[in-house]
Amino acid sequence: MVIYMGPMGLYQSNNSILEKLNPITKLLYIITVIALSIIIPAPQMNLACLLASVTLLIIGRVFWRLIPFIGINITVLISIIVIQGLFMAGNKTLWFQIGSLRFYQEGLCYALNLCLRVFNILCAFAILLLTTKPSDLIESLVEKGLSPKLGYLLCAVLLIIPQLVAAMERVMDSQRSRGLETEGNMAVRIKAYLPLIVPVVLSSLINIKEQSMALEVRGFSSDLKKIFLNQQFSPFYEILIQIGLLTTITLALLRRLFLWLS
Amino acid sequence: MAKLVVENLKYRYPLAKNLALNNLSFEVKNGEFIGMIGPNHAGKSTLCQALVGLVPQFFRGAYGGRVMVDDMEASKVPLSKLASKIGIVFQNPFSQISGVKLTVYEEVAFSLENNGFSRSEMIDRIDWALKLLNIEHYQDRNPLSLSGGQMQRLAIASIIALKPEIIVLDEPTSQLDPQGSEEVFKAVGNLCTQGLTVIIAEHKMERICKYAQKILFLHQGHLVTFDTPYQVFSHFNLEGYGINAPVFTNACKKLEVKLNNGFYPIKLDEAYRKIGAYYEHR
Repeated sequence: MVIYMGPMGLYQSNNSILEKLNPITKLLYIITVIALSIIIPAPQMNLACLLASVTLLIIGRVFWRLIPFIGINITVLISIIVIQGLFMAGNKTLWFQIGSLRFYQEGLCYALNLCLRVFNILCAFAILLLTTKPSDLIESLVEKGLSPKLGYLLCAVLLIIPQLVAAMERVMDSQRSRGLETEGNMAVRIKAYLPLIVPVVLSSLINIKEQSMALEVRGFSSDLKKIFLNQQFSPFYEILIQIGLLTTITLALLRRLFLWLS
Repeated sequence: MAKLVVENLKYRYPLAKNLALNNLSFEVKNGEFIGMIGPNHAGKSTLCQALVGLVPQFFRGAYGGRVMVDDMEASKVPLSKLASKIGIVFQNPFSQISGVKLTVYEEVAFSLENNGFSRSEMIDRIDWALKLLNIEHYQDRNPLSLSGGQMQRLAIASIIALKPEIIVLDEPTSQLDPQGSEEVFKAVGNLCTQGLTVIIAEHKMERICKYAQKILFLHQGHLVTFDTPYQVFSHFNLEGYGINAPVFTNACKKLEVKLNNGFYPIKLDEAYRKIGAYYEHR
């Protein structure tokens, strides 16, 4: 198993079936999940898609890596449930009451469906981001006609946050060695971090000039057609999966159209 | 093999008053190892960039004269086309990493992918470049997890994979520790023995003396001299230009100890031998 430098992105190689899938197939899966949750907004559909995504994440042996992201989202989602349960405009059926605060069933159902949709999209994106090397995703898109410059930009964006964090830590270490107080309460930490933003941003900007020169001399602006080292194959079964996903979206659209016309 | 000819090269940065390069003319023969020396603001980096076409194609400004790499004029031929003849490695190893590849192997492939090489050709060239720079055992590592010396060798491998005939290195060891510097110089020396023309801008005179066949000495954009290291370090008042000759050369100068050819020793073993003989004689 190849372990890439820990903090340099979400992807970690584990040789799973999902990792071997063409990134385009995984991208199509995300599109399908989002499209279905919009075309058929019923909770059952969101639940079905969520179960499918969770199953895939378990098969891909990356479900445990999603848990921190769920943790980050859960506080926001709890606040949505509370606010919708208490204050949604269409609230009618009282569920329970604490003092003067009245919690309604309609608001709760609406908020739960919203949470389901958020988890659904989160899990679908996790399948792509946790099991796909960013460069493979971009290379697949470039092979499908995406501009290489836009592709580089997208890939750099996917990797820039961990790089900035690394730069921040470097600057932080050097400032700490010069006596900057970084440990303590929130106020102390904010006071320590704020002055570091300027050197981090400035050093990144200085690097950009040399980095763009380095890209130029490595032929990045070449008019020649780019050929990627890792060719993304789509075996027959994957083409079938892709057709299946596109058919699902089309059928859902037709059903919606049929319901609308009738 | 490519030959490099510089004729009356002049360049001034936009909004600058003085010329960064002032009427430079010289010729570099195939397979030579050229050391480029000079104090800060002598024009070393600008000249390195002019040799590969970054000046004036990337940096605008007033440009005159010409740089010919074989039959290609560096200021006119697209940089990507020049890359197959002449490559450049910069000071900061960190900023030469593409940032979009997750392994050393893929990082070297990046240059080849851009230039449309076939996959089999890519694999051959990557293996060759990694082996030549002695970093093949790091091929599965993340480029950003390498040490400075390893990362700089990766930057060289990425350029070498395009098989240029000339490689320009702009102070490649300025941010490296002594061990990293030695790793890079050994690798570059190895490239020269493979027939590549090497031009290296450097402040570490001991290493320049050890490897370079000729010295290109710049000062305030002017070419002071382009001669053998023995000539340069024996006949020029380098301290007057803000440059320190190797410590042992200075020691030999103080003792008036010369080699049989009349020059001062510029390599440690020569100096050691001569100073030893001097004290024995006394």
